[in-house]
Amino acid sequence: MKPVTITGLVHDYVTRDEEGNYAESRRALDHVDLDVEEGQFIAVLGANGSGKSTLAKHINALLLPTQGRVLTCDMDTADDSYLWEIRKSAGMVFQNPDNQIVASVVEEDVGFGPENLGIPTEEIVQRVADSLAAVGMTQYGESSPNHLSGGQKQRVAIAGILAMEPRCILMDEPTAMLDPVGRREVIETVRRLNREKGITVILITHYMEEVIDADRIFVMSDGKVAMQGTPREIFARVEELRELRLEVPQVTELAHELSLRGVTMPAAVLTPEEFVEAYRANYPGTVYAEPPIAEKRPENTDPVLSLKDVRFVYGERTAFETVALEDVNLDIFQGEYIGLIGHTGSGKSTLIQLLNGLEKATAGQVLFRGEDIYGEGYNRRELRSNVGLVFQYPDHQLFEATVIEDVSYGPGNQGLSKEEIRERAEWALKLVGVAPEQWQSSPLELSGGQKRRVAIAGVLAMKPKVMILDEPTAGLDPAGRDEILGEIDRIRRETGMTVILVSHRMEDVARFADRLVVISDGHILYADTPRAVFRHRERLNEVGLEVPQVTQIMQMLKEDGIPCREDAITVAEAVESLAASKS
Amino acid sequence: MLRDITIGQYYPAKSCIHRLDPRTKIVGTTLYIVSLFLFKSFPGFLVVGTAFAGVLILSRVPLRYMLRGLRPILMILLFTVLCNFFLSGGEVVWQWKFLKITKEGLLRGTFMGVRLILLIFGTSLMTYTTTPNQLTDGLERLFSPLKVIRFPAHEIAMMMSIALRFIPILAEEADRIRKAQMARGADMDSGGPIKRAKAMLPVFIPLLVSAFRRAFDLAMAMEARCYHGGKGRTKMKPLRYRTADLFGYLYMVCYMATIILLRIWQKI
Repeated sequence: MKPVTITGLVHDYVTRDEEGNYAESRRALDHVDLDVEEGQFIAVLGANGSGKSTLAKHINALLLPTQGRVLTCDMDTADDSYLWEIRKSAGMVFQNPDNQIVASVVEEDVGFGPENLGIPTEEIVQRVADSLAAVGMTQYGESSPNHLSGGQKQRVAIAGILAMEPRCILMDEPTAMLDPVGRREVIETVRRLNREKGITVILITHYMEEVIDADRIFVMSDGKVAMQGTPREIFARVEELRELRLEVPQVTELAHELSLRGVTMPAAVLTPEEFVEAYRANYPGTVYAEPPIAEKRPENTDPVLSLKDVRFVYGERTAFETVALEDVNLDIFQGEYIGLIGHTGSGKSTLIQLLNGLEKATAGQVLFRGEDIYGEGYNRRELRSNVGLVFQYPDHQLFEATVIEDVSYGPGNQGLSKEEIRERAEWALKLVGVAPEQWQSSPLELSGGQKRRVAIAGVLAMKPKVMILDEPTAGLDPAGRDEILGEIDRIRRETGMTVILVSHRMEDVARFADRLVVISDGHILYADTPRAVFRHRERLNEVGLEVPQVTQIMQMLKEDGIPCREDAITVAEAVESLAASKS
Repeated sequence: MLRDITIGQYYPAKSCIHRLDPRTKIVGTTLYIVSLFLFKSFPGFLVVGTAFAGVLILSRVPLRYMLRGLRPILMILLFTVLCNFFLSGGEVVWQWKFLKITKEGLLRGTFMGVRLILLIFGTSLMTYTTTPNQLTDGLERLFSPLKVIRFPAHEIAMMMSIALRFIPILAEEADRIRKAQMARGADMDSGGPIKRAKAMLPVFIPLLVSAFRRAFDLAMAMEARCYHGGKGRTKMKPLRYRTADLFGYLYMVCYMATIILLRIWQKI
């Protein structure tokens, strides 16, 4: 029996006008053929809008084919009588952890599926206990889902599927909204279920690190299967993946770049260990002494923002009292690009809200251009237009009927004249690269990447001196992420603005930031150049953070006795160093 | 923090009242409310008060929690009492210009006030000792006989429990949206009522859009987990009456009998 067999699948999304007549259709899947063997770990990759979610919904019979046939566990999804049997056999985990948990108590939520299937009570209780144990969430059985982390909620969602005893688990970008810790939790859980229980897993994602030990990878593009094969076969085609708006892990990219420079490397290197071995095997043993990389230190001008002995406590004098920040001292200079790193709950969200006065410190001072923002008569509303903050989800701020009106909201609040508002909105939209043709469309109809741009423009239009961006690339595909980061860097260079980028991705901050501020447990752990911070690999690992993969590789090579630049933080630097020590 | 808010403020404790079947508590509370309107004079409060105090002691909910429950209705309470004080006819005991207080008014006002307080006490004791989920379950079961006349008992219960699950999430989201707009210079705390209402639009619209998206996502997730209405569903935690519930019902019968008999004999 095969879990999934898809032949010639076509799906058209049909839009209808108000009277219910056919208006237009968009082809989301275009003659897809796909076969999955029992017990496999399958990954489906693809950029945003490539049709991969539509595909998953077909396997679960949430959508029905326009043309072609989908067999899930040998049952035709078009046959209505199999509907519940299909959904039971191929359970689906969705992207948003909150929007798929039904009950207010974890164990009741896990029991929801079996309840719907009409399983007797005693068996439901047993299944719930087993499922929670399988995802390692037994101790949270009686908790409220609202008190769990994103990764834990996704594990609950997986348990909810397991309790229906499926043969196959479909996962539609289950990690897109999680931080690295949560992502690891979820991926490790499904991998274990696949190995130990033999459950077939179909994982849809655009994080390449998650799929390196998949049995088979399908790459989707424009509704078609553009590539398929083992991870090694797929990752060997670096250029093609880039054209499909995807990327390869840094280690694979590094090996690929080196082989282009004439260094002998296997076709696709997937892990740092493999890389070290392959590189050493061909290492001639010549020593190459390298000059240190010149460090760009920020000039000591007057700081634009300073935090002095800041302490922040949530819910003071209540049962929920938690210290979010303590002993925080930080100076931020004009024109600096700061990467703010720390995982969920480390206090970094609180920190950025202190900087523009949305939250008030319990103790300590926040100075903007030397002025105490808690001082009497200080205009905190004006501060907010000077220290712009773009929150993580653009959907939280877009509300006007058109893009241009939405971007005008900020300057409108500053009390400027009509012409000035318009001028600023247009300036900001041009700066972030939103074409004038889109200015009159509704912000809600835009793609994920365009929404981000409009949200950033909405803050830029207030002409802030400092711009804080909270995870501006979350949920975007690799190409979309690089585009947004490129825009931000360009904007900073064009306007001389100070940028504070909050991110989970070390690779991103390493490329752009002048200085990293690492927060852990409410304290500033490091505030230094990325190069200096990444020297502390072990300490960072201890607090659940990682150095960029390429830095890790270089440090491993150095430990292995190969002289190379162990402080390289980008692929380009590593290539320079390794290609040079080769010749 | 917002995610810690609960509807109907449950007071966690291990008491025999907490352990009662929610149906027992719902029926009990309903009877209690009815009983409050069965008598017209003060001695009746003695019976009700004693019966209530007994349950309160068993429930281990501190009295100050009960009093705290009065805070939100304090204005209504004062209004009711004062209206009765000033607007009743009869023997005048105090007068200042056109304002006068009558003996009947005093009695009626106090009576209404005590009745209202006991009413709130009774219902909050139920919410203090029953989790929202148990309440929903109890209501579903109690109304399920009405399914014969197409009363959507299961659907209403499901809607209630989903609302309970999403209220804290949406509350937190509203807070985040408010901050996102404040970061764009929104001024939400000054100006007249119209200006303030207008200032809420930038919060309200994204919240509404998000609520719809969540509803759509959740519906799909529920379908994917084989939800197809209440038909053929089993329960992981079915409601079961225990011996304690029998005592509960006995207590109610005795209580109602006392009230009704006293009423028939015109004692209260």
